Amino acid sequence: MKILISWLRDFVSVDVRALELADALTMRAFEVSNIEPAPSGIISSDDDAILDLEITTNRPDCLSVLGIAREVSTIYGTEVHVPSQDPVSDSLETQGVKTASPLSIKIEDSQLCPRYVASVINVTVGPSPNWLAARLEASGVRPVNNVVDATNYVMLELGHPTHAFDLDCLEGDELSIRRARSGETILTLDGKERTLSPEMLVVADAAQPQALAGIMGGAKSEVSGSTRSVVLESAYFLPTSIRRTSKRTGLSTDASYRFERGADIEAPLIAILRLRSLLSEIAEGRPRGPIIDRYPHSFKPVTLELRHEQIARVLGVDIESASIPTTLSRLGFSVEALQTDRRWKVSVPSYRIDVKREIDLIEEIGRHYGYDRLPSTFPSLVQPPVQTQPWLRQQRLLRRILTATGCTEAITYSFIERSNAISFTSEPNEIIGISNPLSENFSVLRPSLIPGLVDSVIRNRRREHSDVRLFELGKRFRLSNGETSGLAIALTGAGTPEHWSMASRNVDLFDIKGIVERVCEAVGVTPTFELKECPQLVNGRATNIYGLIDNKQSNILGHLGQLTPELAIKRGFPDSGDELYVAELDLDALMRIAVNRDEMHATPMSRHPSIVRDLAIVIPTNLLAGEVRDTIHAASSETLISVREFDRYEGTGVPDGYVSLAFRLTFRAPDRTLTDVEIDQAMEGIVTRLEQEHDAKRR
Amino acid sequence: MTASSDINQLRTEFLVELDRVSTQRDLQDLRDRYLGRKRGAVVALLKAVSKAPAKLRPTLGRTANELKAEIDRQLTARSELLESQRNPFDKVDVSLPGRTQVIGHRHPLTILREEIEQIFSSLGFEILQGPEVEDDYHNFEALNMPVDHPARDMQDTLYLEEPLRTLDTERPGTLLRTHTSGMQIRYMENHSPPVRIISPGLVYRRDNPDLTHSPMFQQVEGLLVGEDVTMADLKGTLECFLKELFEKNTRVTFRPSYFPYTEPSAEVFITCVFCRGDGCPVCKKTGWLEILGCGMVNPAVFEAVDYDPERYTGWAFGVGIDRVALLKYRVEDIRLFYDNDLRLLEQFSY
Repeated sequence: MKILISWLRDFVSVDVRALELADALTMRAFEVSNIEPAPSGIISSDDDAILDLEITTNRPDCLSVLGIAREVSTIYGTEVHVPSQDPVSDSLETQGVKTASPLSIKIEDSQLCPRYVASVINVTVGPSPNWLAARLEASGVRPVNNVVDATNYVMLELGHPTHAFDLDCLEGDELSIRRARSGETILTLDGKERTLSPEMLVVADAAQPQALAGIMGGAKSEVSGSTRSVVLESAYFLPTSIRRTSKRTGLSTDASYRFERGADIEAPLIAILRLRSLLSEIAEGRPRGPIIDRYPHSFKPVTLELRHEQIARVLGVDIESASIPTTLSRLGFSVEALQTDRRWKVSVPSYRIDVKREIDLIEEIGRHYGYDRLPSTFPSLVQPPVQTQPWLRQQRLLRRILTATGCTEAITYSFIERSNAISFTSEPNEIIGISNPLSENFSVLRPSLIPGLVDSVIRNRRREHSDVRLFELGKRFRLSNGETSGLAIALTGAGTPEHWSMASRNVDLFDIKGIVERVCEAVGVTPTFELKECPQLVNGRATNIYGLIDNKQSNILGHLGQLTPELAIKRGFPDSGDELYVAELDLDALMRIAVNRDEMHATPMSRHPSIVRDLAIVIPTNLLAGEVRDTIHAASSETLISVREFDRYEGTGVPDGYVSLAFRLTFRAPDRTLTDVEIDQAMEGIVTRLEQEHDAKRR
Repeated sequence: MTASSDINQLRTEFLVELDRVSTQRDLQDLRDRYLGRKRGAVVALLKAVSKAPAKLRPTLGRTANELKAEIDRQLTARSELLESQRNPFDKVDVSLPGRTQVIGHRHPLTILREEIEQIFSSLGFEILQGPEVEDDYHNFEALNMPVDHPARDMQDTLYLEEPLRTLDTERPGTLLRTHTSGMQIRYMENHSPPVRIISPGLVYRRDNPDLTHSPMFQQVEGLLVGEDVTMADLKGTLECFLKELFEKNTRVTFRPSYFPYTEPSAEVFITCVFCRGDGCPVCKKTGWLEILGCGMVNPAVFEAVDYDPERYTGWAFGVGIDRVALLKYRVEDIRLFYDNDLRLLEQFSY
């Protein structure tokens, strides 16, 4: 809202410079975003300027010079002068002169239109005088002709939108304010044909809608150079109705902007009087007949009780009682002191639609007292602080583990391209679309974290960052199970950092598997892996991930594997032969089986030495190491505390179709020192079992 | 029988052996053999002296002790000599880089969020998390924003094509939350005052991405409810928070504003981090930067969660982590936070 200071001075005396005024308004909720010099053509003192004010949605009354004048009068303790009105029409109205109006008004829906004021007036259409045109331009409104300009002038000055119809273009002698009929159309002033529906309110003549009520007039009754008589409209429309119609039609105007926020129901008469007075001054306006005011249910002001102790309770400061009625009166409230000490009965003016309860009055007091004058204190601690929540501890723990494994945290958008989501899922009907997306790139909620993370890896690759290790913690969305927490990891490039002392190697399945193992271990879960087939991952290099609870496999926790080169390349991964590995874990599922931190206890460390034995065996290549490991465990007593594969060899010395696998076995008893004899027996038992079950040969 | 000739003999033997020594290891071996406490030759000699006839003992003892001191001196000198003669090419080239231990980086928004969480944790606030898909009631209605409220325009919303089931069985999720306030409503629905919580998380608005806007960003909202909670407390707490987050000498100012869920409402400004208040293009020459919104909880919100507004007052605030990150880390484009370029991410400490 642009306010010309010299216009403001018509209403209230302002002795300060523009900058100071701007600061004062800014500190009272009307942020001045810009101060522009007054344009040429305006005759005023040299300290004139235009203030560009940001008016919050709750203060439609301040979308006007008059509204700002009230605030200014409160700031500086001066009076507001009400604008002059047309004394002739006033007398016409009050004396009930029997000049019949050439037009009657009928409100068919008094809920959507609680008040409609109209007046017919003869005019001579022409250009506006320079002073008026200059004020409009300073306010950012383009002058059209004196009649249209006068309606805009009154709106800017008093905040109330009005409209003028060309009387000669109307059919019949009645304007009705009614809901549109289904399928009815109107050509609005912007030249667009609009099809209407019954929730929209129109102002119609005998034949058709002549205005989309409170939003925009129709082209047919537009005021033009040949207009001789106009019907002036000054009405009040239900805010929600205007807002819905404005949204539905995509049509937002200065008028709808004010009506949908809430106009002043007491303003229509004042506005039409001001309009008539202005038209008589600039357009040879001569009223034809009285002002018609259809106002079935008159306004009853809200009254509120304001308690001084409540002001202190909210603001935390003891504001001098005497200043309170003064501030409120200047803002237009009527204040009456009650019998009880320091309490007031406050009547809210019709234009302050934002003030509904005591707290709203306290805000007025606080705002004009100044928030910067409030003391700075601290809330007292009245309850013991809460412990960190388990989910938060776990998230922080996961970040620690993942960064320690060399992965950097990414954050990608929760919405992705539909086609991308489809490429990464086997269940496209689980995908949830966004009904009003910003673009196709953001059209569905991600069913998985992997597509977004893969895109981030690819962007880095294209920026010549060849070694990329990323992870993301975030939400995934699927129709059947809603919103779930996930963790995704993506790796490509070098598996070990380049160093002069040794050769580097590229990442492989065991890098990502190792990270998943560390993550699971961190929350006390033993992971197990099973080969799986899925179209996005390379066959034979893809596994499901489970957890082990009491030696039983949990529900699926996630999956990992190598992304198929076709899919990677389709997303833009350079065709370099490099492999891209991904993993995704369902954190909700993982956390369900995670070990509670409160249940973590230390087990005593054995004082007895351990004995280590290496065992190399030759087995068929297709036998899984995991099975061999299981057999070793099954053939041993509890003194075998660890089995670790430390070498795997195929080639010279090992027959085709076989592989040599070396295990390091560690034995220890908690209560005694093991003897070599015991261990020799144990090893023999293991070897025998391996020979029997797997056709293994000791090397 | 020990005689001074024996002592001389030992001395000669030692010197011969010393000449042959070429490494520190041999030298240590030599030291052990002569001066070692158990089997050292000199120790044995001293023992023998103690058994010599009384009249010879002082002379022999003095000579033997002189030898001991001399041997020690000689060994030390030789050790220093060996050290100085050591071949420089035996040393490794310490100017070569050490092995890299790859450590990943947390995202800058995470670093900042955890810093904010830390500050409020230390002030006794509980940290909450909540769903990103929300229902209309918890995102708007309970916050004094009924359907058709013009303030809904301030938070242009992304809606789902079909409702998604959430923990709240009665109200399926229909939109992406525009703020994290929904969680605060849920918390109040299930807890009696006092309340002291913050709710960090991702929020969504239908804003086209540009330098300062992102359709997804992170927010931290705070809520404090009790019997004697005032706007002065809000001021004190936020001033403390902002000085902790930025610099100790940051100036903070509160300007009246409007939010449907708070009354009175304020916007909080800090001295521009770029020009320190002198005025620059970033702060549009005002010297101030808007940093967060806050206010006293509107009694209408208390009524929605069955709190008695005559008994309780409270305050709330909301701060955009991305915006703080732009200012604090001097990143010039909010979109970079979601681009995940390692050249940016790796600039932030672990």
